[in-house]
Amino acid sequence: MADLKHRILMVSDFFYPNFGGVENHIYYLSQCLLKLGHKVVVLTHAYGNRSGVRYMTGGLKVYYVPWRPFLMQNTFPTIYGTFPIIRTILLREKISLVHGHQAFSTLCHETLMHARTMGYKVVFTDHSLYGFADVGSIHMNKVLQFTLADVTRAICVSHTSKENTVLRSGLPPEKVFVIPNAVDTAMFKPAQQRLGRDEIVIVVISRLVYRKGADLLVEVIPEVCRLYPNVRFIVGGDGPKRVRLEEMREKHSLQDRVEMLGAVPHASVRSVLISGHIFLNSSLTEAFCIAILEAASCGLLTVSTRVGGVPEVLPDDMIVLAEPDPSDMVHAIRKAISILPNIDPQVMHDRMKRLYNWNDVAERTEIVYNRALKCSDQSLLERLSRYAIECFP
Amino acid sequence: MDMNFTADSSLAPSRWRKVAYGGMQPGYDDNHTDETFLEDMVMNANVVKRNMLKVMQDSVSISQYLCIVFLVVLVWIYTLRSTLNENSLLLLDISLLGSGFIILVLTEEMLSLKRLWNYILNVSFFTTGLFVLAPIYQTLTRSISSDSIWAVTISLLLLHLFLHDYSGSTIRPSGALKNPNLTSCISLNASIVASVFIASRLPSRVHVFATMLFSLQIFLFAPLVTYCIKKYSFRLHLLFSLGLMAVTLTFVYSLHCLLFVLLVGILIFVNVVCPYWLIRIQEYKFEINGPWDEAKLCFDITD
Repeated sequence: MADLKHRILMVSDFFYPNFGGVENHIYYLSQCLLKLGHKVVVLTHAYGNRSGVRYMTGGLKVYYVPWRPFLMQNTFPTIYGTFPIIRTILLREKISLVHGHQAFSTLCHETLMHARTMGYKVVFTDHSLYGFADVGSIHMNKVLQFTLADVTRAICVSHTSKENTVLRSGLPPEKVFVIPNAVDTAMFKPAQQRLGRDEIVIVVISRLVYRKGADLLVEVIPEVCRLYPNVRFIVGGDGPKRVRLEEMREKHSLQDRVEMLGAVPHASVRSVLISGHIFLNSSLTEAFCIAILEAASCGLLTVSTRVGGVPEVLPDDMIVLAEPDPSDMVHAIRKAISILPNIDPQVMHDRMKRLYNWNDVAERTEIVYNRALKCSDQSLLERLSRYAIECFP
Repeated sequence: MDMNFTADSSLAPSRWRKVAYGGMQPGYDDNHTDETFLEDMVMNANVVKRNMLKVMQDSVSISQYLCIVFLVVLVWIYTLRSTLNENSLLLLDISLLGSGFIILVLTEEMLSLKRLWNYILNVSFFTTGLFVLAPIYQTLTRSISSDSIWAVTISLLLLHLFLHDYSGSTIRPSGALKNPNLTSCISLNASIVASVFIASRLPSRVHVFATMLFSLQIFLFAPLVTYCIKKYSFRLHLLFSLGLMAVTLTFVYSLHCLLFVLLVGILIFVNVVCPYWLIRIQEYKFEINGPWDEAKLCFDITD
């Protein structure tokens, strides 16, 4: 491990006070890198009144640049408008390396481009999976090809995500590292008292949108309630599909067996999770599901759809996988209920502590930074030829 | 925190596994690319291999409809020039209605008196409505210049041809498989508006009624009739289309030489050049599917 200490700029449109996978990833990674002795600065756009420079735990400096988000928390793309402030920050903080997150973030793409113009080494982390067939994905992939034509190294959160990124962007696979997310096991501890077995509680916490498989839930919940009279559901989260779930509840008279909590703030997720035995995840696409890690850390047995990177996340004895088909999911829930007596939440939690750790993620990311900084500098002509080859074959 | 995954590490490094847990796999870098990389990728799974002859036969539907539209325009031109008088037009309308009915009756598998009665009732309502509204259409565009009318009509007809649903019919008999989509409704409306504009240039009420009846009959019911013929027998469909093309070419030749050349050019383009082009560019099709795709729900969402 090199003793070189880096000064890293993390860039993304998505950061605290927004809550989500990317935001968590940036925050925890930055904290662990700070512990390793590096200096980390985060660049994001202003959230409402939260504008200017803020300091977070551990001395993490965050620049909330006063730009207005225009679509789903993304900054309005003005290709050269962001250059002055980015240059100021890069020079003022004496940054040595820029790390961008999430393909969907316009700020990330612009910053990476400007950083490359100024000669900095650049690392990009991709957190989601995209298709190839619809109009939105095709445009997104073209933008990604442009940005990644020139990136020094890339990181993906799962092996499926690596395959997807390599296909979308045309990067050579040796340039892409797979470093998964992790979970803060200190925050997600199992309940002190083990729950009784006479009533089995299945917990679902997700945004209730099409992508997260809310329609599958509408089919699965009544069937499971019919087959197993001692099973109860707790559904946390809000979204456009909540109406369908409420209708399902009314139609099958499951008001006492299905509890709808509405939006669950991040701080209360643990208390909802520890009230259950099984965690159900029905998403239709997932690059890496952190919710499953949180559930496993709280000692719940997971039942999930076999999509995207989910099969890689947990060992086979901690998760039961099913095809995204209602009958198969009911079958998987039956299997989970049958193996539930063998599950010890505390044992599962201890295992998770060994399997996933943010410090490990930070160390592996440090290796990527060292590799990136060792790469040779490129002249402008080489850079332009890379763009030409990648984007206009 | 060290991440030794295997307690008893043998001399040879353990096999690389496609998993995300357990930290860095000993002996392998994080950017290790295994032979199983992209193993689950499926290319061009849903792509249909096309055969030139079949594509040419399928393109006959398009040229058949093009000829029908050309014939309608021809009839309009003859009516506007008073070459065709209102009585012969009325006769043409009635004979077309009659023959359309006969074809429908002959080619329909489930023939029932109730259905037939339904059709007759609908058509008589439609005709009566047109007759009553004919005076309105006659004076509709009196204040608009003829040039604007020709320009708007031609653009509407082009729009109609562009957005037309060539694979089926917007108006279906009850129990149809597919609901009409937005573009086919737009094209139908465009053709109806075009016929109203043309009809409003005519001198008398009977002219207007006859022309409107003719145009609307063709635009509304011709796709249905041709769809029924195609469903009944493909050979009959091909013969009918070829006959129609021959008739159109003859009439257009007697009208104007340049239009004839244009029509021949379009027909060759649609029937020969486009199928060849389609098959040539199909080689470049690259459809990628794999475990990263969003799962498709196998059931319908009924809201």
